[in-house]
Amino acid sequence: MIQKVRVITKVGPDLKGIDILSDIHKMLGLKKVDKVISIKVYRLEGATEKQAKILAKQLLCEQINQSYSINKPFSHLPGSHLGGVAIDSAGVTIEIAYKPGVMNPEAASVLKAAKDLGIKLLAADSSYEYAFFGSITKEEIIKIVEKLKLYNPLIEHIVIEESKTLLIKGQPGKTNIIHIRDCSDKQLMEFSKDKLFLNLEEMKTIQKYFQKIKRDPTDVELETLAQTWSEHSGHKTFKADLIVDGKQKAPLIYRIKTEALKHKKNIVSAFEDNSGVMDFYDGWAINGKGETHNAPSSIEPYGGAMTGSGGVFRDVLATGQGAKNVISTDVFCFAPPEYPSKNLPAGTLPPLYLLKRVVAGVRDYGNRVGIPTSNGSVHFHQDFRARPTVLVGAYGIIPKKYAQKGKPELGDLIVVIGGKTGRDGIHGATFSSGEMTERTINVNSTAVQIGNAIEEKRVFDAILEARDNDLIRALQDCGGGGFSSSIGEIGESLGVTINLEKAPLKYPGLSPWEMWVSESQERMIIVLQKKNLRRFLRICEKYNVEASVIGKFDGSKKLNIYLEREKVCDLSMEFLHKGLPKKVLVARQETGNRKKSDTPPIPKNEGEWIHVLEKVLSHGNVCSKESIVRLYDHTVQGTSALPPFTGIKQDSPNDAVVIRPILDKPYGMIVSHGLNPVLNNIDPYWGSLWAATEAVANYAAVGGDYQEASLIENFIWPFPDEQSLWSLDQSVDAVVDFMKVLKIPVISGKDSLSSTYRGSAGVIKIPPVLCISVFGKLADVTKTISLDFKKVGSTIVLLGKQDLEMGGSTYFDVNGVLGDQVPKVDLKLLPEVLSTLHKAIKLRSILAAHDISEGGLITAIFEMCLGGRMGAELHLEGVKAHLRGNFLFNETAGCFIVEVKNEKMAEKLFRNLPYKIIGKTTSQFSISANGLFEADIKKLEKKWKKPMEEIFS
Amino acid sequence: MEKTNGGDIFLKPKICVLKSDGTNCDEELYYAFEKVGGDPELVHINEVRNKNVRFKDFQVIAFPGGFSYGDDIASGKILAVEMVSFLKEELENFRAKNGVIIGICNGFQTLIRTGLLPFGSLGKMDATLAPNDSGHFECRWVRLKKEKVNKCKFLQGDENIGWFAVNHGEGKLFAGNETIKTIEQSGLVVFRYVDENNRPTQKYPNNPNGSINAIAGICDPKGLVFGMMPHPEKFVDLTQYPNWRREKIEKPHGLFIFENIVKFARVAK
Repeated sequence: MIQKVRVITKVGPDLKGIDILSDIHKMLGLKKVDKVISIKVYRLEGATEKQAKILAKQLLCEQINQSYSINKPFSHLPGSHLGGVAIDSAGVTIEIAYKPGVMNPEAASVLKAAKDLGIKLLAADSSYEYAFFGSITKEEIIKIVEKLKLYNPLIEHIVIEESKTLLIKGQPGKTNIIHIRDCSDKQLMEFSKDKLFLNLEEMKTIQKYFQKIKRDPTDVELETLAQTWSEHSGHKTFKADLIVDGKQKAPLIYRIKTEALKHKKNIVSAFEDNSGVMDFYDGWAINGKGETHNAPSSIEPYGGAMTGSGGVFRDVLATGQGAKNVISTDVFCFAPPEYPSKNLPAGTLPPLYLLKRVVAGVRDYGNRVGIPTSNGSVHFHQDFRARPTVLVGAYGIIPKKYAQKGKPELGDLIVVIGGKTGRDGIHGATFSSGEMTERTINVNSTAVQIGNAIEEKRVFDAILEARDNDLIRALQDCGGGGFSSSIGEIGESLGVTINLEKAPLKYPGLSPWEMWVSESQERMIIVLQKKNLRRFLRICEKYNVEASVIGKFDGSKKLNIYLEREKVCDLSMEFLHKGLPKKVLVARQETGNRKKSDTPPIPKNEGEWIHVLEKVLSHGNVCSKESIVRLYDHTVQGTSALPPFTGIKQDSPNDAVVIRPILDKPYGMIVSHGLNPVLNNIDPYWGSLWAATEAVANYAAVGGDYQEASLIENFIWPFPDEQSLWSLDQSVDAVVDFMKVLKIPVISGKDSLSSTYRGSAGVIKIPPVLCISVFGKLADVTKTISLDFKKVGSTIVLLGKQDLEMGGSTYFDVNGVLGDQVPKVDLKLLPEVLSTLHKAIKLRSILAAHDISEGGLITAIFEMCLGGRMGAELHLEGVKAHLRGNFLFNETAGCFIVEVKNEKMAEKLFRNLPYKIIGKTTSQFSISANGLFEADIKKLEKKWKKPMEEIFS
Repeated sequence: MEKTNGGDIFLKPKICVLKSDGTNCDEELYYAFEKVGGDPELVHINEVRNKNVRFKDFQVIAFPGGFSYGDDIASGKILAVEMVSFLKEELENFRAKNGVIIGICNGFQTLIRTGLLPFGSLGKMDATLAPNDSGHFECRWVRLKKEKVNKCKFLQGDENIGWFAVNHGEGKLFAGNETIKTIEQSGLVVFRYVDENNRPTQKYPNNPNGSINAIAGICDPKGLVFGMMPHPEKFVDLTQYPNWRREKIEKPHGLFIFENIVKFARVAK
């Protein structure tokens, strides 16, 4: 019997209800709904009604401001609501719950607390009921609920029928033999489609292998091969030999690694572990990693963002013998929130919904696991309508003596800890390697799930304590590809025997192949020496972490998987890891002349100047993201030394984050990033250099020494057809050249090459994105600076060499022009500019600095003025009249606005470099550009803050 | 511990920083206590439940911030139920010995839901910390005023105004009118959110959650249990504060709270 407890807010605002009502009024313009009330619903299985009452009183309902009702709707609304109108008579109610099988993290908490109160439940669930009031029918309400996307049908449903039990039953499926030896090519591909995502050559390689060993594969074996050989796990494009415009070139990854390993000074490990590790101070190392989670986020943004975050955090955790996460970062690209829904390609979700739900997912996961989310950016471009980019970065700290994984030895145990295995996330790795089509949203629903941040936090706590007790030999995160990926990788050298029945399941009924490739979250694989097992299990128990030995290293050089006594997989590690045929790929530059682009008209008067400035400041790529950032906890762990926002009202955005990861030491860790999705479409080589320079400039603007930094690359590219592969090749060349110039390495990277949409609307190539992240060390955090202007009467300096090209700039964009030439960074000058700035900050000769990026020079000055609540008087005498727009809005990366005491100081610091004295700070709260305009900063501030405030406040 | 005629003196009072699943501000709290000369220890609640660790061996129990058990059902609720169900006697004995109990953010939410705050009635809730009026989590810095007149044994002394970090989604102190009146009249209010003119405020974002009477921190009538939503442990070093580069800070604003607790706990009552 299920007892149903409803809980309602009786005093004080019902925030959920008010929110929905305001959306109905504002977004749908429907005035006939007068009120919405939210009701929390708990279902308790295995309790008597009396027990349900005890739980309602002591656990589920706080009677100070809430009321409860057991097994029936509220007959009257208590307290201040609608003056006591009965809900069931006046309102239409709709209940939204997770679908059976989707993990609801709250259910476990209800079970635990009930047990603590002496009541043992068989199962529990929680959901929300909404009561709508007004002259409106149930059918209309359902339409409203769907229009507002109050639920995502992939994971949630409107409850229509009460189910008799919350328990999920099922008979385990069998392992099937797949008869592929006699298949035709067509049959092979039919089998691969929507499931294995392998191409014909790969399918034929598998077919030949099994013909050779004279048997057909099991489904477990095929799934294992498909997962290991997927683009997501195998990075086939990056490993392929290339022919670019007829000339042979080395594989992309080879070029990156070769150059990176020339700059070894700080490298502890690069491209070998789950994240890149570099040296820190006093026997510590720091590590970092960035990963996209675009595919799941495109169909279930909340769960996608959560599991994306959780996965990267586990990558940082699964570095060496276990690292502690200390920073997370988030970079998103969406179509503009106001993009009309009617123009969206079939099978995609509206960008506003994606933006809100992705932010909510990052908030609810990152805040709960207790990692400060302190750096990131949001970009908008209409071509992201077909698939957003959601890139999460994570950074950690680890004692250097634990920074390398131990080598597993014969007899070592394989232990799975953390979450249980369910059907969720099946085919995530293969799915994300596929392109997005109209079918994606329907066929691949099991690829999404909701994360459980607290499970992950428990796992963090247990692993770090086990590490400090020298118990861990090696560890792997169960991310894309699940056990198949983590155990397949870790077992490559020795071979393993796995007993699948030992893995704890969320519910019965999984087939062996499903257990093997399931991507259920919050699971880790730990390699232990047998003698350490007892102590390890005791630590797990202390932290309420479930741990099960599921296999061991057996020396067979094979992947042996059993379910009870049945052998379901018998694959040679050699074939699994080396059998994938190396690709040879052709890349070619699209020929045909690009149209020469127009240039926008120069503003004619003060009004026009201010108008264009306001348009730039309110552009999605430039406007304030504060209302998003304040939803994320960036002070947890107490390490902050430079937060996302500083200044008198703490509302001006810094270029990078600085933390002190060891609380009683002054050592700083700095993290920044750079990307520009527009420029790569015009010029992938110089666009990528812009992104890399922007990342390092952000790092230098706060006082970082780039020579003590490492880089992380993330390539998020359309499917590598000849043209896209050509631009990818250009981008990789840019990254390699950048390493050469700065003499610092990329130490971690990831590619995601599926940003192409194919549907009835045609083919949409999502803009190619290179995101470069920078992280590094600094001996003393007090030698860093913030961007806010500090003093009235200071000298404002432009440091660095502008290239007055404006292609891809925000200024061009608000004028409806793309441009054909992007600003080129002067790579010869760059190292000197960066190190001069660093040295000057170290000497405390600089009051404030800000890197110039989207929105250009004038935007940088605006943000600095805002922070100091003061103004700026700019002198443009040296700039030709027709170039003043280009000058003020120029976005050349590697240029800085710097505040120094006086002109003499500027001369002293920068005399060997290109620099310009462009003005002074003033006590007037306005920006004046002599003769052109004087803009009231208060008005600009409003324009700059409004776009995101409207969405998030 | 040294014996004196006046009672026990603890040169380095022992502080139990109590963790549960989802606690995440434990390390900075540990650091704050260590910095002011306390002797903190990170203890998981399971260790207290299985009696490997006893509250009686500590002078202070500190509940850190975080999301205990995911803040499922209500923030701090599951942990509060666990405390009341299994550790009631431990806690009561600790209180009988005049031990100090503090809770920050999620710790405060837990103390409210055990009933220890505001009236020291373990197992009976008299007030709640409801969702912020803004409807969402808030991460920002706010100014607080410490009341000159209040019952908290270790937070006596002059009015004091400072900057504190808030990071929470459910921080609005809420109770019936009579309860609020009693809280006010008994001097249980220790901290309030204030505006630029140092006046208690209901205005967002200075008052980040809409808390009644701008209440940010309270104590129990004995003055030994104390809880607050903002995070003093996140401002015990200069560089933890966003504007340390532009403002003159004599002393990190959260520090005095820990100094006072440790000073008070040195002398057993």
